[in-house]
Amino acid sequence: MSDLKETLKEQIIEQLNLEDLTPSDIKNDAPLFGDGLGLDSIDALEFIVLLEQNYDIKISDPSEGKEIFQSVDSLAAYIEKNK
Amino acid sequence: MKIHITGYGLISSIGFNAEESIKSLRIGQTGIERGRFEAMSNYRVGAITLSNEELKERFELNTDGSRTALLGMVAAKQAFHGHEISDQIRTGLISGTSVGGMDISEVEYKKYLDQTDHNPENYKHHSSGTSSMQIAKELGISDFVNTTSTACSSAANAIMMGARMINNGLLDRVIVGGTDAMSSFTISGFKSLMIFDDDWCRPFDESRKGLNLGEGAGFIVIESEKSRKLSKKESLAVLSGWSNASDAFHQTASSPDGQGAKLSMLEALDRAGLAPEDIDYINAHGTATPNNDLSESKAIQGVFNEIIPPFSSTKAFTGHTLAASGGIEAVFSILAIRNGYLYPNLNFRTPITETGLTPQLKFEEDKEIRHVLSNSFGFGGNNSTIIISAV
Amino acid sequence: MYYIHSIASISHQDSFQNPNIYQDLKELENESEVVSPNYKDYIPPASLRRLSPVLRMGLTASIECQNNVSGAFDAISVGTALGCLKDTEKFLNTFHTSTSDFLSPTAFIQSTHNTIGGQISLGLKNHAYNMTHTQNNLSFEVALLDALMCVNEGKDNVLVGAADERIDFLQTVQPSLIPSEFPLTSGASFFVLSPNPNDTGIGVRGVRTNFNTKNIGDEIDVFLRAHEITRNDLDIILHSDSIPFKTDTKKLNYLLYSGMHYSAPAFAMHIAHDYLKTELKSFALVVNNMCPGTLGLTLIEKQ
Repeated sequence: MSDLKETLKEQIIEQLNLEDLTPSDIKNDAPLFGDGLGLDSIDALEFIVLLEQNYDIKISDPSEGKEIFQSVDSLAAYIEKNK
Repeated sequence: MKIHITGYGLISSIGFNAEESIKSLRIGQTGIERGRFEAMSNYRVGAITLSNEELKERFELNTDGSRTALLGMVAAKQAFHGHEISDQIRTGLISGTSVGGMDISEVEYKKYLDQTDHNPENYKHHSSGTSSMQIAKELGISDFVNTTSTACSSAANAIMMGARMINNGLLDRVIVGGTDAMSSFTISGFKSLMIFDDDWCRPFDESRKGLNLGEGAGFIVIESEKSRKLSKKESLAVLSGWSNASDAFHQTASSPDGQGAKLSMLEALDRAGLAPEDIDYINAHGTATPNNDLSESKAIQGVFNEIIPPFSSTKAFTGHTLAASGGIEAVFSILAIRNGYLYPNLNFRTPITETGLTPQLKFEEDKEIRHVLSNSFGFGGNNSTIIISAV
Repeated sequence: MYYIHSIASISHQDSFQNPNIYQDLKELENESEVVSPNYKDYIPPASLRRLSPVLRMGLTASIECQNNVSGAFDAISVGTALGCLKDTEKFLNTFHTSTSDFLSPTAFIQSTHNTIGGQISLGLKNHAYNMTHTQNNLSFEVALLDALMCVNEGKDNVLVGAADERIDFLQTVQPSLIPSEFPLTSGASFFVLSPNPNDTGIGVRGVRTNFNTKNIGDEIDVFLRAHEITRNDLDIILHSDSIPFKTDTKKLNYLLYSGMHYSAPAFAMHIAHDYLKTELKSFALVVNNMCPGTLGLTLIEKQ
């Protein structure tokens, strides 16, 4: 699970172009949206692309994303459950 | 200075001209159906069922161009019908477009990627400015040409700029509006935003899921009183108000309270010297996306308070024609003024919970429509409003 | 008179925050690059990470202008001929090559021409009038015309500028889209205009576009006459293609310094401004004759 989280962080950094960040800058339970990393609704769509491209998981309703993408923890948990 | 409207023209999926469009609006006949061509076959779109060759032949177009330019020529020619080029009337064309010649470029670029018969010559139609030059050429206009490109508010902004150029004494008469053709680029783009409705779109409905794309063009001719005396054209309506304001909230989403939209409506009313209660009909931007319709509703409530005039979105008829929408909807607004029309908002069942607003549900005519307000909101928080009034 | 209260250019010259770009102009080599400021000083990382070169340039130049004047802009007018090419190309690649149901949206969102203007209003939290003009080689002149109208209509703090970017693919399609002997480049130049006088006395007297140019000399004469001067009053003519008449007036081909992109006339206006300021001259004319048959003329004066 912790491998998944590390990989996820690298993928997030790449997909969202967070050029100045390294995986160690992203805490597992830190909020990704709003104040956290300052991600927005466009990033939420990028997350959907990330999930499909890397984990073959399809989310067809973008409003579902809010809960799933809350943090690296919630994202990893969702992937574990749905892969 | 009064800005007279002395011509209009449009083409969209509900009609190849104003008369056909009204027929569709009257009987509630949408132009949106499942796409016929491969790129569009998964979506409901408001496509014009004529190929480029058919457009050229049927409408006797002499100038070559991308589909965007051809559609623009059709609508602009209709609008300019009966007008003549004259040394005494400084005439310009301002067109709003977001697609430009992308319908050709995207095909050519695929050849480049596939390393087949890539021909760089074909990119000559690409830029949005070129589509406007081609429309101007078809009409014989050379005093002034401009292209406004602000996504879905482009045509409304073109209309506004034309009016301001007349007021500033730079032009006497301007053909203004917008055009956008269907392209894989935009279809794929809106798909990536997950903003389509698989079903027919439901503007202002609680269950709305997204938009249906459309294509088309809409142009009007505006001129000063002095120019009108020379052109001898009847004043069909007056462009009494306009405004553009920025939401400055997000690159694609509108602010929850519709601040930019509220600003543009208030300023347009102010310029027209009208109070909110003077408006008899609002042609809303109403794309049927969850975000726009709530934001726009809030803005409308903010401006009109308790007394909200009949309002509707005609995008469930035409589809969202992007940059052309402000032009097409300006024509609808003119026809509403002249014939007392109110247009129905299709596919509506339940008001948005947060606002409780119900749009106009049936087509009506012979109403007293003296002032129409039309909204067009584009990506980048670009909010535009125009107001058209009876002569 | 439309006084220039602030200017910022990002170009292939060392122009950003340079108080006199005229004296530092160097003819461009074929392989030159944009001389970029440190964008991180201007744009927060959460926004910066997504922005293509043209967006970074346009936004930073605008922020620099805002930093130099007080009060929010009451109108913003942007010209761009080809818009956000990098994102346009990126999205073309995405949808042509992807086999997935889901496509990355960022490039599409940023491909619309008014993203430059949109990012400016977003970055400055500005709610004013915001327009994007895309009339090929005359995009800047039309944007400027719009800005002058804004001032005529009562605005007194108007941001106007133009930006265009180069991508490698442009080289492939160059003859069709942007024919030129000069190297293809990128650039952004932004100005703040106001009817209120400034310290330098320099401003725009007028701008004119022509879409049916038969004789450049005649067009220039008509334009200058409307501003009550003649060719003899000009101290410098900045031009793109060669001037088809003999003149003793100092001439400068700005494409030598900006390289070729359709927003180059905006950079030329910056050169003109600095020339008038430091050489204590009176009149500069920017001639945009990049595309035969069309013409842009901008008259800058130092009072």
